[in-house]
Amino acid sequence: MLAEPGSGPENSALSELLDLSMPADSEAIAAVVDTITESLAQLDVPEQKRLEVALAVQEALANAVVHGCENDASKQVRCQLKSDPNGRIVIIVTDPGPGFSPELLSDPKRSENLYADHGRGVYLIRQLMDEVHFEHGGNELRMWKY
Amino acid sequence: MGPAVDGLRQTMEEALGNGDTRIVLNLAEVPMIDSSGIGLLVRFLASTKQRGGNIKLVQPNKFAVQTLRLVGVLNLFEIFDDDDAAVASFA
Repeated sequence: MLAEPGSGPENSALSELLDLSMPADSEAIAAVVDTITESLAQLDVPEQKRLEVALAVQEALANAVVHGCENDASKQVRCQLKSDPNGRIVIIVTDPGPGFSPELLSDPKRSENLYADHGRGVYLIRQLMDEVHFEHGGNELRMWKY
Repeated sequence: MGPAVDGLRQTMEEALGNGDTRIVLNLAEVPMIDSSGIGLLVRFLASTKQRGGNIKLVQPNKFAVQTLRLVGVLNLFEIFDDDDAAVASFA
């Protein structure tokens, strides 16, 4: 799903819960995922939802590190957790890369892609989250869980 | 992701290098499988099948099964409740 900046439910009424930055190093991802998951537990988000969000965040951060930053640990990936008054959460992952066109990604469930060793991350994020937007040319991912 | 996937990749490469193509993978202690782990599993599944073997999964948790199903690869794998049953399935 493509959208203009600022899209998403009740964007103006969001409360910021976390604003994290990490070096573009795959080994830094787990700590950020753990911090997000702990915050969700404090918000009494059910375990199944926490698992789904954790995996989506992991995929988003991995994409930001590998594609957005080309594994250059001198670059930074930002990860924000916000909520709206109805308890819906949004996670925003931003990298300094040139972005990409998500509509060009192939469908990993097509028979010719089933044995591919890559290409499932964004698809998985879309399946795990309730609403997903790529903004600013693709280098900012906003994903909502209701 | 990261070290976990790197460790699995190394183990699988060693197994294939030793000529082992009938592999039982116990996932009981794996809390979740991400896309890099799935990519590794299906790549090695293809490699073992090309050599007449297979990879059998044991005790993946509910979320791992859900994830494999979401990306359409669950049906590529045979899943067992215990190691012995998975090993016996190769007989």
